[in-house]
Amino acid sequence: MTHTMHPPIRRRPTNVPPQGTRGVFLALLILSVLIGVSFLIGWLLSGLTAQVLPGAPAYTILIFMLLTLLVLTPLTYRLFPWITNWFYLLPALVFILAFTVLPVVLTVNYAFTNYSGANSGNPDSASRTAATLSADRLTVTLPEQQGQNLAEFLKCAAPTCAGGTIVLYDEEASVPYRQPVRAISGNTVTLAAPVPETVEVANATRINRYEYVGLANFQEIFGKASRALWPVFLWTVVFAFSTIVINAVAGLILGILLYNKRLKGRNVYRTLLFLPWAVPAVISVQMWVALFNQQFGIVNKTLGLLGVAAVPWLGDPLWAKVSILLVNLWLGFPYMMTATISALSTINDDLYEAAEIDGASRWQQITNITLPLLRTSFTPILLSGFAFNFNNFGIIYLLTAGGPAQEGRESTAQSTDILLSWGYNTAFVSSGGQNFALASAIALIIFFLTLAISLVNFRAAGVFEEARK
Amino acid sequence: MTAAPKTPSDLPPGGYVHREPSLLRRALPWLVTAALVIALIVLGQALVQNMQGRQKSFSIYFVERGWVRFLLFLLAASGVLALTSLLGQRIGMARTGRRISYAAVLGDQLTHLFLILVVLVAVYPLLYVLIAAFDPRNSLFAFPDFENPNILYRSGLMPRLDVLSTENFAKLFEGVTIPGWQLLLAGVGGASLATLLLLMLVGRFGRDSVGLQRTRTWALRVVIAALAALVLFMTPAQFTGFSNESKFLLSVRNTLFVSGVTGILAILLSTTAGYAMARLRFPGRFQMLLFFIFIQMFPVFLALVAVYKLLTDLGLGNTFTGLILAYSGGAIAFNTWIFKGYVESLPESLEEAAMVDGATRWQTFVKVVLPLSGGIMVFIFLNQFIGTYAEFILANVLLTGVEQWTVGVMLRSFTTGQFSTKWGVFAAASTLGALPIIALFYGFQNYFVGGTVSGGVKE
Repeated sequence: MTHTMHPPIRRRPTNVPPQGTRGVFLALLILSVLIGVSFLIGWLLSGLTAQVLPGAPAYTILIFMLLTLLVLTPLTYRLFPWITNWFYLLPALVFILAFTVLPVVLTVNYAFTNYSGANSGNPDSASRTAATLSADRLTVTLPEQQGQNLAEFLKCAAPTCAGGTIVLYDEEASVPYRQPVRAISGNTVTLAAPVPETVEVANATRINRYEYVGLANFQEIFGKASRALWPVFLWTVVFAFSTIVINAVAGLILGILLYNKRLKGRNVYRTLLFLPWAVPAVISVQMWVALFNQQFGIVNKTLGLLGVAAVPWLGDPLWAKVSILLVNLWLGFPYMMTATISALSTINDDLYEAAEIDGASRWQQITNITLPLLRTSFTPILLSGFAFNFNNFGIIYLLTAGGPAQEGRESTAQSTDILLSWGYNTAFVSSGGQNFALASAIALIIFFLTLAISLVNFRAAGVFEEARK
Repeated sequence: MTAAPKTPSDLPPGGYVHREPSLLRRALPWLVTAALVIALIVLGQALVQNMQGRQKSFSIYFVERGWVRFLLFLLAASGVLALTSLLGQRIGMARTGRRISYAAVLGDQLTHLFLILVVLVAVYPLLYVLIAAFDPRNSLFAFPDFENPNILYRSGLMPRLDVLSTENFAKLFEGVTIPGWQLLLAGVGGASLATLLLLMLVGRFGRDSVGLQRTRTWALRVVIAALAALVLFMTPAQFTGFSNESKFLLSVRNTLFVSGVTGILAILLSTTAGYAMARLRFPGRFQMLLFFIFIQMFPVFLALVAVYKLLTDLGLGNTFTGLILAYSGGAIAFNTWIFKGYVESLPESLEEAAMVDGATRWQTFVKVVLPLSGGIMVFIFLNQFIGTYAEFILANVLLTGVEQWTVGVMLRSFTTGQFSTKWGVFAAASTLGALPIIALFYGFQNYFVGGTVSGGVKE
C-alpha cells in the first residue's frame, strides 16, 4: 500500500516528556497550576456553599478540591500526555503538600507574628457588649466603654476604623457574624454593607487579630537563651546521643551473645526479649512512671533489698535524666538486638573459618571481623536513631512531662525538656500561656537543626547515591 | 550491604594492598572507650553525691548491705556452673569421643546465667503490671506486707496472689451495653481466632498441607472481617457509664479505627508513588526522591501549632478525620521509600513481558506488580498501624472529647487525674490495650525482624 497524499500535518501532543531541567520545571509548573486551580475552585465552591447553607462545615473545601482534581486530571492528560508519569505521584504529593508542607509554611509564617491564645484571630467573647442596630441596618451603636474610645475597643489599625471588622451576635451569642466597618464616630459604627435580614443583632465584640512582629519571637528566645534555649538544646543533644550509644552497646552485646549457634534455647530468650518492643511505647512509658515511684515503685523496692536507699527517680533533675535514659534503653534494646542479629547473619561464615585457621582468637575475630562488618549496617541505624530521639517527645512527656522543676529556668523549659517538648509546653500547657507564635519560632529552630542532622545522615548513609540510580 | 567486593572488576587496580592503619586510627577505639569510662565515672560520682544523706523510705523494706549477698549469690551460682560445666564436658567427651573445650561450655553456662538475669529485669516489670491488673487494692502503690515471713511478699516484690480478682476489669466495662449481634460477631471472631491459632500450631508441629493453609487464610479473613465490623459499628451511645474508665473500650475502638484507616491510606497513597520512583524514568524523579526523603525527616508534630490551627479552621478539630489526615501526611514518604525498595528487588522481566503483550504501564502495575507485593503491603499496613496506635502527641492535642480519645490519651487521664490516680484501673487498661499490638507483633514477627535491617539501610 502506498500513500500518494500525505495526511495533513497536525501537531499531536507527544508522549515524550521534555528533558532536562526544563522538563522538571514544566512538570512542576503544570502540577502546581493543576493543584492551585483545584484549590481556588474548591475555595469558591465552599464559599458559595457557606452562603447557601450557613451551617456548612469548613472542610467542604477539601471535598470540592478533591472533586475538581478528579475532573481536571484527565483534562491535563489530554493536553500533556507525558505528564502521566507524574500522576503516579499525584495522590502522595497532594497529601504531602496539604498536611506536611502547608503546616511547615504556616509555622514559618506564625514564627514572625504575635499569634497566641489572646491574639488568636477569633472574636473576643470576653469583651462582648450590648449593641443596637439602626433601622436601615447600616449602623451599630455600642454603649460607652470605660476608659477606651471605640477605635481602641475594636483594636482597629486606623483611627477611623476603616477596613476593620466588627463581630455581631444575636441574643444568645451563638453564631458570630463578621461585618466590615466603614467608619466610626463617637459610639456609632458605620458598616460597609447592611446587615442581612436573617441576622439578629444584640451584642457586638472585636476580633483579636494577630499581626507581624518581625523577629521579636527570636529576640525573646535568644534574650532568655541561658534560661531555656541553651540548657534545653544541650540536654536534647546529650539525650539523643547517649541514648543511642547505650542502646546500641546493649543491643550489640545481647545480639552477639544470642547469635551463638551452640546456645540452647536462644529462641526462647529472643522471644522474651522482644516483649518490650512489642508493647506500645505509649503504654509502657506510662507504666514506668508507676514503677519508678520513689515510695512505692517496684524499682526502689528491689533496690531496698540490695541495701540502696530510696532513689528519687523522677523527682530529682539528675536522676530524672538517668531514668529517661534507662526507660529508653528498655524500650530500644530489642530493636538494636534484632538489628545486630540480622546483620550478623549476613556475614559470611567463611571469614571466621579463615580467621580460625590463621590462628585468630575469639576476641580478635569479634574486633577484626564482626565489628567492622557491622559498622556498615549500623551507621544508618545509629544516625536515624539519633534523628528520631532528637525529637522523641513521647518518652519525655509521658515519663517526666519535662520536670522536675529546676531553678533559673523558664517554666516551660524544665530539667528534662527537649526542644520539642519546650515548644509544646509553650503552645499547649497553661504555664506557656498559649504562645503559639513563640512555639512556632522554636519549631523553626528545630526545623533547621533537623535539616542539618538529616543532611549529615544522608551523606553518611549514601542516600544521594542510591536515589540517583 | 557487605563491603566485600564480589567481582574482580570492583577491585582497585593492582588488587588489594594491605595498609597498616595510622597510629591515631588504631588508638581511636581506645580513646573513645576511655572517654566513655571517664564520663561514666563522673556521672556515677555525681549520682553517689546526689544520694548522700538521703533517708531510706519507711514504705520500703530495707536489707542492710543486701548487694553483698547478691554478689555472693552470683559468685556461688558461677561456682556451681563451673562444676556442672566440668561434668557436662566430661560426659559429652565420653559420649561423642570428641574434644570439647571446657572454656566454651563454661562460657555458654555463664551466658545462660547472664541472659536469665537480663530477661528477668526486662520482663518482670510487665509481669508485675499484669498481676497488678488483677489486684483490686491499687497494688502498684501499696505498702508491702512487712510481717510476712516470705521475703518476696515482705519486700513487696511479689504482688499478693491470694486477693486476685477481676474488679479492675469490671470497672472498665461498667455501663457498657453490648447488643446481641455484637456479641455474636465477637464470638465468631474469637472462634476463628482460636481456630487460626490451633491451625498454626498444627502447621508448625505436624504436616502442612494446602487444605490447612486455605483454612488458615479463611480463618484470618473472618477474624479481620469480624473485627472491622465491630470497630465500624460500635457507637459512643453504648457507653453509658459516667467515669472515664467506663469508656475505655470505646477508646480502644477509636484507636483501632484511626490506626486501621491510616494504615489503609498509607498503602493507597504510597504504592503508586513508590512504583513510579522505582520503575519510571522521567525528568524530576531524582528531585522528587530527594524531596520525599527530606519530608520524611520532619515528623508532622514539629509543625504542631500549624496542624492544630489548620484542622480546627477546617472544622476537623475534634474528629477522627482530622487526626487521620494529619497522620497520613507523615505516613507517605517513608512508606513510598520502602515500596520503592521492594519493587526494585522484583525482576523487571515480568513487567517487560506484560508490556510486550500490550499492557499499559498502569495495567502492568495493577496486574503484575501489585499481586506480587502482598507481603510488603502487609508490612506497610502493620508498621503504620502499630506506629499510629502508639502515637500520643497529635492525638492529645487534637482530640478534646472523652468519646474521641485514643488509648494513650485515655491511659494518661487515669494517672494524672485531678483527685486520684487509678493505678489498678490503669494496669488493667494497659493490659487490654497492649494485647492487640503484642498479638500482631508476635503473629507477624518475621515481617519486623526482616524489616529492621533492610528498612534501616533504606531509611
